[in-house]
Amino acid sequence: MLTLNHFLVLGALLFCIGLYGALAKRNAIAVLMGIEVMLNAVNVTMVGFSFFNTVKPYSTYLTGQIFAIFIITVAAAEAAVALAMIISIYRKRSTVDVGEINLMKW
Amino acid sequence: MAWYQFSWLILFGPLFAFVAIIFGTRMWDLATRPREEAEATPADAAHAHDEAEGETQLIVTHGPHGEEVVLEDDEDPKVPRLTMGARASGYLGIVVVALACIYSWILLLNTSGVINIAPPLDPRGLTVFSYDWLNQGTASYSIAFHIDNLAIAMTVVVTTVSLLVQFYSQGYMENSAGYARFFSYLSLFTFSMLDIVFAQNFLVIFVGWELVGLSSYLLIGFWINKRAKPAEDRPAPATAAIQAFITNRIGDVGFIIGIMILFAQTGTFDFGTLADKTNPHGVVQAFVNSGNTGLLTAAMILVFCGAIGKSAQLPLTVWLPTAMEGPTPVSALIHAATMVAAGVYMVARTYPLFAAAGPEALGVVGWVGGITALYAALTALTQTDFKRVLAFSTISQLGYMFVGLGVARGTEFGVGPGMYHLFTHAFFKALLFLGAGSVIHSLHHAMHAEVQDMRKMGGLAKYMPITAITWLVATLSISGFPFFAGFYSKDNIIALAFDQQDYGLYIITLGTAGLTAFYMLRAYILAFGGKGGGFGGLWGGPYRGEGEPHESPRTITIPLVLLAIASIIAGYWTGFFNYVQPINPSAPNLNLGEVFTNPLTWVGVLVSLVGLGWAYVLYTRFELATIHNVVENNALLRFLHRLTLRKFYIDDLYDLLIRYVVLGISHIEAAFDAYVVDGIVNGVAQAVTGLGRSVRHVETGKVQAYMVGFFGGLAVLAIVVFALVTFVK
Amino acid sequence: MDLATLLFWIIAIILVGSALLVVGMRNIVHSALALVVLFGMASGIYLLLNAEFIAIVQILIYAGAVTILILFALMLTRTNNISTNSNPTNRQWWLAAIISTLVGAAIIFAVTLSQYSTVHAGSGVAYGTSACALPPNNVVYIGQLLYSPTCYSYVLPFEIASLVLLVAIVGAIVIGRED
Repeated sequence: MLTLNHFLVLGALLFCIGLYGALAKRNAIAVLMGIEVMLNAVNVTMVGFSFFNTVKPYSTYLTGQIFAIFIITVAAAEAAVALAMIISIYRKRSTVDVGEINLMKW
Repeated sequence: MAWYQFSWLILFGPLFAFVAIIFGTRMWDLATRPREEAEATPADAAHAHDEAEGETQLIVTHGPHGEEVVLEDDEDPKVPRLTMGARASGYLGIVVVALACIYSWILLLNTSGVINIAPPLDPRGLTVFSYDWLNQGTASYSIAFHIDNLAIAMTVVVTTVSLLVQFYSQGYMENSAGYARFFSYLSLFTFSMLDIVFAQNFLVIFVGWELVGLSSYLLIGFWINKRAKPAEDRPAPATAAIQAFITNRIGDVGFIIGIMILFAQTGTFDFGTLADKTNPHGVVQAFVNSGNTGLLTAAMILVFCGAIGKSAQLPLTVWLPTAMEGPTPVSALIHAATMVAAGVYMVARTYPLFAAAGPEALGVVGWVGGITALYAALTALTQTDFKRVLAFSTISQLGYMFVGLGVARGTEFGVGPGMYHLFTHAFFKALLFLGAGSVIHSLHHAMHAEVQDMRKMGGLAKYMPITAITWLVATLSISGFPFFAGFYSKDNIIALAFDQQDYGLYIITLGTAGLTAFYMLRAYILAFGGKGGGFGGLWGGPYRGEGEPHESPRTITIPLVLLAIASIIAGYWTGFFNYVQPINPSAPNLNLGEVFTNPLTWVGVLVSLVGLGWAYVLYTRFELATIHNVVENNALLRFLHRLTLRKFYIDDLYDLLIRYVVLGISHIEAAFDAYVVDGIVNGVAQAVTGLGRSVRHVETGKVQAYMVGFFGGLAVLAIVVFALVTFVK
Repeated sequence: MDLATLLFWIIAIILVGSALLVVGMRNIVHSALALVVLFGMASGIYLLLNAEFIAIVQILIYAGAVTILILFALMLTRTNNISTNSNPTNRQWWLAAIISTLVGAAIIFAVTLSQYSTVHAGSGVAYGTSACALPPNNVVYIGQLLYSPTCYSYVLPFEIASLVLLVAIVGAIVIGRED
């Protein structure tokens, strides 16, 4: 029998894997992919909450799914902007290594 | 009641005049001033703009009749002619103060019963204006004005002298730059002085106190470009202004501490409440009944410190003689008739508090006054500067007033004797100063330089008879010659000292009366008479200056005549004692019959006649040079002469004190500031900078480092929460 | 074990495995392909949770658009040895591993403590009163929740989201443009 627990733990696992990718990768695109994984983890959690909602007034029934839609929207926007930035930086410095991009240093 | 209720108009009229002149007619004056001609020399142009050229020694300007006149560089800047704006400023100031003067005379005549247009004033006075500035818990700070007979008498003095002085200034200041500014300052001063007079509580009187200090500062330093004259021992007006201001501040420190003590104990500033014997906030309940009379005495002596500073009593006398560097009308108005009397008025206003305090409080008042009177009279004996003699005589007479207040302790006389002398003194001292101003004005036209040294005068009575005769009236009045105003008021104080068995003060005041007579007649003869003049040397004689002096214009002589009349008849207001103390109707009035039958009176008259006679004999029978030689050839006389001429070395003592003690402490404090305070400040700054320099390496600019920080912090928090949930529960 | 549970386990294992491949592959193009698998499996999870609309959107946007975007970016930022080591880790990978483990452990710990963690699906179907009739299916319902001017809806946040997208488009063009 499936419970909310399953989906939350699944989300947590995905989240921390994505976090590792975002923290440990040199390639900026890999970092971005880690972030996408994290966002998906959150989406799984949200939709899970929506499905297992025990208090169901009409208006809040699908709130989790609505949340997921907005997260997808923002994630798409973020991916577009971030990739544009990566390409722009690559053109200027011929690298996508986030460890070498430190223009905002002291 | 309406007549009384609207008397705040007297107070605010001059303030209005000040504002109107500063923002209105003075702007008009500045806008319409003629541009200097193209061919004017740079020095001349600078002169017109109130800026003295540093290097220029001689300045060519145009005299009153169009001739070229060579002036010394330290003359005050001259304007060729006054603009309409400047004249309007003068007229505005005069009209406003004239209306105030008329109003205050109406009040005086009504309250003294001469005319009857309004019901009698409540003996405790009437609050005419009140504004709650701040209400804070139990203490309330209000701006409140109040009139009673004492205030009305003082208002009359202030507005009358102010009116005459402003009228006089039209002639005296005619050629001076900043004519409009001068009248605005005079209006400001009148307002400030009336603020003191109308004050209902210590807060308001303190504000007025500081305002008169400010206007005195502005007016002493009015001729900002005038230089010091070391040969004549005369400082620059700017320096004198600073000295006056700072010396007054020293007294004010005591004043404000005294006020704070009173306020801390009683919780009120209001004079009426403080003096009320039944009110729990009154000093009697707050101090005396709780066994704190000593503290009250200390507080009142501290309050008196303010009066010492403002009235130039010992040891703060030094500023008044140097304040004579200001224009002479200012000397007459502020430094003789009204502002310096503010100290006396303040003591009179707070007299119930002094009376409630221990006998030491009024003892201090009396003895400070007595010693100052003697000191100033001795110093005045040898001064050669015309105005300085008058300055010391002012200090001396103020001493008399304090003696009058001091010795009247515990009696039914109250503030009467002191205030009476203030009242009469205001007229004859203003007259003396305005007469001196008339002489200086005239000699200025004759010699084209500002001459105040009496050794360059002599025999002026021939040239300027009106000035001479009015000056003689004032001289006799201040000397205590019978039937003149000063005789009644001064003799009253001397007799009171005797009646109170205060024989020390009696001897001092009596001796001072003789000295006063001597130096005043000496000044008169040196200026107006001399050996070979009429009336045995009293009228005319050899003139020791240059040029041809003339009698001053009408704007100057009219006030002199009016004041001369006042200097005589002011002594015949016999109801004064009763008038200023309506709350104590048993105060005995001046009884002319008793005055003339009392042998003590004739002792006083004798002493002053001796003084007058000696001066007459000495200065009309011998040339000034002869007297000088005799003094220089006698070791003892030379020593005494030096001693008094140098003002008993009090100025030099202050000089040493400031040069070595005050500046020494200042150097130590400067070092403390430079090394310790700055060290701490710079140390803190350097520590912060160093910390920032080492910590900034945290900012690597790498986004993953920041993410590690963020999620690492989250991980640490997770551990903490885990630990708390698991082990604490 | 019913079918749904079986499906869940299969999908979950593939999901986590593909996620690990995303962060673990040495060739970044392979990582990107593993990401496509991940998006597809996530879509399966949504189907299990009766969220058909989200599942379709997931396929369209993530598996379709975002993956293509990432692949294009990879092509435009070509690195030298793309097949051997194009997806290296940095020097703080061990720290990242510790932090990730701790954060994940904390979330799972919190989940197990929650009183809602063991609820079953459909345990409380109680629709509130509304002026609008209950929609026939999930897609219509979401559409109503997003756009309806009369019923309770998220129309204003939706408009704002469209503005965000517009700004993102303009920003991406401005940033990515050749000088």
